[in-house]
Amino acid sequence: MGIIKASKLIFDYIRRDEEEHVEEVNRAIDHLDLDIHEGDFVAILGHNGSGKSTFAKQINGILLPTEGTVWISGMKTTDDSHIWDIRKTAGMVFQNPDNQIIGNIVEEDVGFGPENLGVPTEEIWRRVDASLEAVGMTAYRMKSPNKLSGGQKQRVAIAGVMAMRPKCIILDEPTAMLDPNGRKEVIATLHELNRKEGITVLLITHYMEEVIDADRVIVMDDGRLVMDGTPREIFSRVKELKAYRLDVPQVTELAYELKQEGIALPDGILTMQELMDVLLPMMQERFPDQVKP
Amino acid sequence: MIRDITLGQYYPVDSVLHRMDPRTKLFGTLVFIISLFLANNLLAYGVTTLFLAAAIRLSRVPVKFIVRGLKSILFLLLISVSFNLFLTPGTAVFQIGFLKVTWEGLELAGFMALRLIYLVIGSSVMTLTTTPNELTDGLEKSLGFLNKVGVPVHEVSMMMSIALRFIPILIEETDKIMKAQMARGADFESGNLIQKAKSMVPLLVPLFISAFRRATDLAMAMEARCYHGGEGRTKMKPLRYAGRDRVAYVVYLIYLALIIVCRRLME
Amino acid sequence: MSIKAEHINYIYGAGTAFEQYALKDVSFEIEDGQFIGLIGHTGSGKSTLIQHLNGLIRATDGVIYYNGENIYQDGYDMKGLRSKVGLVFQYPEHQLFEVDVFSDVCFGPKNQGLPQAEIEKRAKEALTQVGLDEKFWDQSPFELSGGQKRRVAIAGVLAMQPEVLILDEPTAGLDPKGRDEILDEISALHRDKKMTIILVSHSMEDIAQYADRIMVMNHGEKVFDAPPKEVFRHYRELEKIGLAAPQITYIVQNLKEHGVPIADDITTVAEAKAAILSLLGKGERKA
Repeated sequence: MGIIKASKLIFDYIRRDEEEHVEEVNRAIDHLDLDIHEGDFVAILGHNGSGKSTFAKQINGILLPTEGTVWISGMKTTDDSHIWDIRKTAGMVFQNPDNQIIGNIVEEDVGFGPENLGVPTEEIWRRVDASLEAVGMTAYRMKSPNKLSGGQKQRVAIAGVMAMRPKCIILDEPTAMLDPNGRKEVIATLHELNRKEGITVLLITHYMEEVIDADRVIVMDDGRLVMDGTPREIFSRVKELKAYRLDVPQVTELAYELKQEGIALPDGILTMQELMDVLLPMMQERFPDQVKP
Repeated sequence: MIRDITLGQYYPVDSVLHRMDPRTKLFGTLVFIISLFLANNLLAYGVTTLFLAAAIRLSRVPVKFIVRGLKSILFLLLISVSFNLFLTPGTAVFQIGFLKVTWEGLELAGFMALRLIYLVIGSSVMTLTTTPNELTDGLEKSLGFLNKVGVPVHEVSMMMSIALRFIPILIEETDKIMKAQMARGADFESGNLIQKAKSMVPLLVPLFISAFRRATDLAMAMEARCYHGGEGRTKMKPLRYAGRDRVAYVVYLIYLALIIVCRRLME
Repeated sequence: MSIKAEHINYIYGAGTAFEQYALKDVSFEIEDGQFIGLIGHTGSGKSTLIQHLNGLIRATDGVIYYNGENIYQDGYDMKGLRSKVGLVFQYPEHQLFEVDVFSDVCFGPKNQGLPQAEIEKRAKEALTQVGLDEKFWDQSPFELSGGQKRRVAIAGVLAMQPEVLILDEPTAGLDPKGRDEILDEISALHRDKKMTIILVSHSMEDIAQYADRIMVMNHGEKVFDAPPKEVFRHYRELEKIGLAAPQITYIVQNLKEHGVPIADDITTVAEAKAAILSLLGKGERKA
C-alpha cells in the first residue's frame, strides 16, 4: 500500500433545509480508487468542479468519506485517534496565499505548525531554519507576509507545512492566483523538495505546463478518475483532454496537429527539444543546404 | 500603499528597549501612566520628563517619529486645554469679552496638556519598540491568571494576532471593492445620510462575504496545520525575563518612589 | 473617438520619503475598435494605468483625453466617463452583492439613471452576451459556479453599454475551457459590437491569439507598443523584464536559428502549423 490510498471513495455534499431535511445531494467524488507511491510527484488535473479539491480535503481528514476509505501511511482518516498524525504526515497548501498565513512575521508563521504539535522550542527553531532554507525564503524570515509577492507567500506556506516534517504535501491549486513567475517559483520549489527531501508531492492544478515534469498524471472528471499515466501518455490523448475541459501545452498541440496532417511525429511530445529532435532532421532533408543540426 | 500601514507603527531598529520582554514594557507603561497622575508639581513633572527622555534615548527611535504620533490627539488636546484655560475659576490674568483666563486655569491647562502629551508619547515608545505579536504574547502571558476565572486568554490573543494580520488585507479589499463599484457608477459621497447608508450596501455585502470566506479558509488552514487550541502548544518564542528586565523593574520602583517623594516634598 | 494619454505620471506618497513612481511618462493613443493586450509583470504599473483610463485614479501630472475632451477639466462628467469606459477588475465576482443575478447586473445601468424598461433591456442583453443561461437569472449569484459568477460580473459592466471595455485578467483561476469561453466572448464583443478592448493578461498565448496591438509595461514605464508579431520578436528583451513570448515563438526562433527558412513573426499554433506543413511540402499556403 502506498502513502495515500483511496478505495471505493464516495463523497456527497448534502444540502439540508432549515428542518434538516435533505434538499440536494451533490456527488463530488464517485467511486475513486487510487494508490500513490511514496516519493512520487503526482499531478491531478481536472476542470473546476471535477472533484479534485474535494479529494484533496479527504486526504488529511478535513472532509471524511461518505462511503469508502482513505488511508494515509496506513492510517484511516476516519480514525479519530490518528487525526493529528495524519495531518502532520500529509501537509496541505491551499489556493489563496493570503488566507493560510497565520503569523505576522514569516518565521513565526513557519513555526505555527510545530507549535501546535507541541515541539520543544529549540527544535522548532531548527525546523523553521531548515524549512525556510528548503524553500529559499531565509532572506525574508523577518518580513511581514503582507509585503511578499504571491509566489513568495506560497513558498512560506510550503515551509509552514515542511516544518511539521510531513512525508507528503498536497497542494490544492497553489498557483491559480499567481503570475507566471510566481508559478515557476512554486513549481521549482516543489520539484526540489521532491528530489532532495524525498517528499511525496500531490499537485492539483489546471495549468498544463506544470505537470510536464511529474512522475504521474491523474485526470478527474465528475468525481471519477478518468485518466492515469505518465505525462507523455496523458498528453498524447489531446482530444480526450479537451473533452474534459482541459488543454495541452502549445508544443504538444502543435505536434499533435502536425501529426494529424500526416507528419510522422511520435505521440505526446512535451518539450520544445523533443519537437526539434524530430522536426529538424525532416527540415534538413527538405533543405539540405540551409539547415544545420 | 495602504498595505504599508502597520498597526502600532513598529519601528524596526535594534535597541535595549526593542530587546526587552514585552511584559516589562507593558508594566513600565503602566507605571509611567500612574506616575503621570501622581505627579502634581513641577518637580515631579521634571522627573517624569527625565524618565521619558531616557526611555526615548534607549529606544533609538528618532524623536521626530515619536512626535508625529501627537498629530492624532491635537484636537483632543486643544479642547481639553481650552476648557481648563477658560473655565477654571480663580485670579484673572486677562479677560477678552466673557472669556476669562486665570492663573489656576493656566496651571491646570499646562499640566493637563503635559499629561496628555506624555501619555501618548509614553505609550507610543512602547508600541514603536514592540511588534504587535510580542504585544499580544505579552498580554497573553501577563493576563494568564484570568484563565483561572474562565477568560479564554489564549483564544483572545490568537484572535488579536489574526486580526492584526488581516486588517491591512481587508483595508485593501475595501478599497478595491469600492473602486469596482465606482466603475459601475456607484456614488459613495453625495446624497443625504439615508442615501449614503444605502450606497454602502454594494460595498458592505461583498466585504462581509469576503471576510467570511477568508475566515473559513483560514480556519481550515489552521486545522490542517494541527491547530487545536492552546492546550499542549509550545512556543517558538517563549517569553523569558533577562537581566535587563530585572534592572528595568528596579528602575520602575525607584522611579515611582521618587515621584511619591516629590509629591510629598511640595505639600 | 479615442483615448489619449499624454505624459502620465503617477507617484505614490508624493512629498514623503517613500515617494515612488507607479507610472512614469506614459503616453499613447488608443483608436476606436482596437484590441489591445496590456502585459507586464506584477507591480509593473498596468493595474494603476487602467484605473487612470476611467478616472478612478487621477494622474499626478499629465493629461488624459477621452474623445478629445480633457477628463481632468472642471465639470467633466466622471460618472459618464465610467459608463463609457467599462472596467472589469480582477476577480470581479468578488463585487457581486445583490440577491439575484438579474438585479446585480441592473446595478450599473440603474446608477446611470436610465428608465426601468431600458435598465432591464440592457441587463438582458448583457447576460445574453456573456452566454449565461436564462435559468440562472433569478438565482442568487453566490450559488453559481466560479465561471458563471465571473460572467455575471462581466455582464454587470457590459450592461452600462461601454464603448471601451477594460478587463484585468478576466480568466484568472478558471480552467482551460473556461478561459477559452470567456476570451471567445470578449472577442465576439470586439468583432460584433466593435467595442474597443483592453485586455490585461499574463498569458502571452492568449494575447498573441486575440490582440492586434500590445503594450508592455515595466517599472511604470511603457517599454513596447506595437503589434504582437513585432513585440514578440523581442522575446529576449521581454525575458529580461520577467516576461516571455508564447511557446510557439520559441519553436519558430529555434527553427530559424538552425537555418530553417520560416517566417520569424509567427505567434500562434495555427500559423506555425501552416508554415511547417508548407515547408514540408504538405500544405497549400506559403509560409
